Amino acid sequence: MDNLLEAKLTAQPSKKRQYLLLVAVILAVFAWSLTAIKFRAPDDGGAKIAANIIRGILSPDLNLLWNFTSQGVFYLLFETICIAFLGTIFGAILSIPFAFLMAPSVVSRPVYILTRFLVVVIRTVPALVYGLMFVRVAGPGPFAGVLTMSLTSIGMVSKLYVDVIEDLDRGILEAMDAIGCTTWEKIRFGIVPQLIANFSSITIYRFDMNLRDATILGLVGAGGIGAPLIFAMNAYRWHQVGSILIGLVALILIVEIISNKLRAKLVNG
Amino acid sequence: MFNRKFQLASGKVVVARPSKIPLISLLMIVLIAIALQVTKFSFTTLLLNGHQFFVILRGMLPPNLKFLPRIWQPLFDTIKMSFLGSLLGALLAVPLALLAANNIVRSKWIAGFFKFFLSILRTLPTIVVALIATFIFGLGTMAGTIAIFMFTVSYVGKLTYEQIEALDMGTFEALESLGLTRLQAFRYGVMPQILPTYLSTTLFSFEGNLRYAAILGYVGAGGLGIILSEQLGWRDYANVGMILTVLIVTVSLIEWLSQTARRKLQ
Amino acid sequence: MIKFENVTKIYDNDHVGLKNVNLQIEQGEFVAIIGLSGAGKSTLLRCVNKMHEITSGKLTVNEVDVTKLKGKEVRQFRSKIGMVFQSFNLITRTSVLGNVLVTLVPSLPWWRRLLGIYPRSAKLAGLEALDNVGILEKAYTRVDQLSGGQQQRVALARTLVGDPDIILADEPVAALDPVTAKVVMNDFQRINQQLNISILLNIHHVDLALAYADRIVGIRQGEIVFDGPTAQVTPEIIDHIYHSHHVEDAVNEKVPAHV
Repeated sequence: MDNLLEAKLTAQPSKKRQYLLLVAVILAVFAWSLTAIKFRAPDDGGAKIAANIIRGILSPDLNLLWNFTSQGVFYLLFETICIAFLGTIFGAILSIPFAFLMAPSVVSRPVYILTRFLVVVIRTVPALVYGLMFVRVAGPGPFAGVLTMSLTSIGMVSKLYVDVIEDLDRGILEAMDAIGCTTWEKIRFGIVPQLIANFSSITIYRFDMNLRDATILGLVGAGGIGAPLIFAMNAYRWHQVGSILIGLVALILIVEIISNKLRAKLVNG
Repeated sequence: MFNRKFQLASGKVVVARPSKIPLISLLMIVLIAIALQVTKFSFTTLLLNGHQFFVILRGMLPPNLKFLPRIWQPLFDTIKMSFLGSLLGALLAVPLALLAANNIVRSKWIAGFFKFFLSILRTLPTIVVALIATFIFGLGTMAGTIAIFMFTVSYVGKLTYEQIEALDMGTFEALESLGLTRLQAFRYGVMPQILPTYLSTTLFSFEGNLRYAAILGYVGAGGLGIILSEQLGWRDYANVGMILTVLIVTVSLIEWLSQTARRKLQ
Repeated sequence: MIKFENVTKIYDNDHVGLKNVNLQIEQGEFVAIIGLSGAGKSTLLRCVNKMHEITSGKLTVNEVDVTKLKGKEVRQFRSKIGMVFQSFNLITRTSVLGNVLVTLVPSLPWWRRLLGIYPRSAKLAGLEALDNVGILEKAYTRVDQLSGGQQQRVALARTLVGDPDIILADEPVAALDPVTAKVVMNDFQRINQQLNISILLNIHHVDLALAYADRIVGIRQGEIVFDGPTAQVTPEIIDHIYHSHHVEDAVNEKVPAHV
C-alpha cells in the first residue's frame, strides 16, 4: 500500500522548469528594457513644476469652469461628448459588416483572415494619423474628430462583435427551422434579438472609451476639449489645466457610472 | 395597435408591458441631430472632399524602405517603454486591487477609497499624464514609461478587483473553515483562480500599451511617436508609411505571441 | 462532544436563525439534520465551527467554550473540525492534491506558506487521504475536470487530511445525482465508522437521512422539533418537521451570505 503512494508521489509532474524558464525570460526582457530608460530624479525645475501643477489643479480657474460660452469648459465638454457620441454611432454601424466578414461561422477562411488583417491595420494606425488625414477632408474642428473616432472605433468594436456572433445560440435556429421559418424570419426573430442587446452594450462601452480618447484629437486640431487642455499645459497655465481636468474627470466618471448601469440592464434584461 | 390589453378565451386579461423601443429611438434621433449640429457634420463636405483622405494615404505607398534603419532605435524604445510600464504597473495593481475588493477588505470605506482612486487614475487621459511627466522628468522614454505605468495600474487594477469580487466566495469560506487566516485563504483560494485571468489582462494591456506608446512620442515622451510626428510635420508621407508598416508588423507579431500565451493560460 | 445549551442566533437583519436550541452530540455519532430550506440547518452547522457567532446561550465543543475563542484560537479550533459544502468549494484550476494539501497550510513554516511548497510528509498524508476516498489515481488532475461526485470526495479528503474529530457537511449531496449521492453517503458512513469521526450532516433527502444516519434532528423555523434515533422516525414526525404555516416564507427566506 505504501509503495503505491510512494510511486504516486514520484509520479508528480514537475512544472519547476517551465516556471524557472518563464521567470528567466521576463527578467531578461526586463533588464533589456531598463537600457532605454534614463532614470533621473526630477531636478529642482521638475519639482517646482510638479508643485505648480498640484497647486493649479487644487485651485482651478473658476471663471473658466463656470463659463457657459463657447470657450468655457461646459461647452467644450459638450462638444467632446457630441464628437464621441457620433463617432461611436458611425463606428458601430461601420463595424457590423466588418464583424460579419470576420466571423468564421459566416464567411470562408480566406475572407475572414483578410478582413481580420485589414482591421488590425486600421486598429494599429495611431488616431493622430487619421486625425491629420481627416483635417484635410473636413478642415480643423469637431467634424474631423467625428470622422476620426468613427474609424478608430471599428477596430475594437468589430472584434467584440465577432465574439457575440460566434456565441449565438444556434439551438433557437433549429427550433425555428422546425416551426418552418424562412431565412429572413430566422435572422429577424432569431438572430437580431440575440445580437441587439450585446451589440448595444459593446457600443456603450466604446462610447466610454472614445470619451477618454477624445483628448488626443486636440493634438491635431480635430476639436473637443483636448486642444485647449494641451495649449494650457504648454503655456504652463495650471489653473486653467486644473479646471479643464476637473471637468473632464467628473464627466468621464458620471458617464462611466451611467454606462455601467445601462449595460448591466441591457445584458441582464 | 396601442391596445395592450388582451382578453383570453378563459376570461383572463393580460396587459402587455409598454415597449420602450419607440421612446429610445426618438431619443437617439434627437441626440444625433443635436450632435450633428454641434460638430458641424456635413455629408456634402464628406462627399466633395472625401478624396482628400486618400492623398496622404497614397503618399504613404509605397513606404520608403531607406528610412528603415532610422526606425529600429525608436521602435525598441517604444517596446521597452511599454514592457516596463506594463510589468511594473501590473505588479502594483495587485495590492491596489486587493484593497479595492469588497470581499477581501472588510471596511467599505477603504475599498471605496481605492476604487475611487483607481477610477480617477483611469480617467486621466494618458496623453495628459505623459505631457505632465515630460514637464517633470524631462523629455524622453522615462516620461512615456510613467504614463504607461499609470494607465496599466488603473486598468489591470480595475479588472482584477472586479474579477476578485466576482469570485465564488465559497472556496474562501471553505478555507477559513479549515483554520486558514484571510491572507492565507487569499494566497491559496483566490490567487490560483485569478492568476490566469490576471496574466491574460496584463498581456492584453501590454498589447494596447504598445499601440498607445506610438502616440506618446507626439508630446515628447519617447519612442516611435517622435519620428512619426517629425515625419508628419515634414509631410514626408513615404517615411510615415514605413513607420506605420513597421508598427503594424511589430504589433501583429506581439499580438500573435501574446494571444498564443493567453490561450495557453485559459 | 458538541453541546448546545439554550443557543439563540439572531442575524443583523433581525432574522432569527436559531431559537433556544439544546442539543448534545457524543463523539462518533452520525447525525442528520433535516428541515425546510431556511429553517436554520446551515446556521446550526456554522455555529459549531464559529463561522457564525451565536447571539446567546452556551456552545461547547470538546469541552471548549466556543464563544470565548479569539483570533488564532478560532483557527486552531477550526482545524480540528472539517467542513464539506453543497457546491464543493474547491480551488479551481488547482490539482486535486493541491486542494487537499491546503488543510495543512497553517502548520507550515512561513516560507513554505508563501511559496506553496509542501514537504514530502504532507504530500504523503494528502495522497493517503485521497486513497481513503478512492480517488488516488486523480491526484494530479485539475479539480475542475472531475465529476461532481469526485469533487465532493476531494472535499472530503481535504477534511480528512487534517485528522478532524468532527465533520460538518452542509447539503453535501444536494448537487449530485441519486446514484453518486449514495456513493458519497457511503463514504461518510465508512469514515464515521472506521475513524470514529462525528458527522453532522444537513440534508433535504429524507430517505438518504433515514438510510445512513444514526440519529435525526428535525428543525423548523430555528427550533428543534424532533431529536431521536433514526428508528423512531415515523411519517407523522416527518410531516411535523416539514409542515409549517409559513411554508412560503421559509422557502423564500434567504440566509445571509456566509462571508
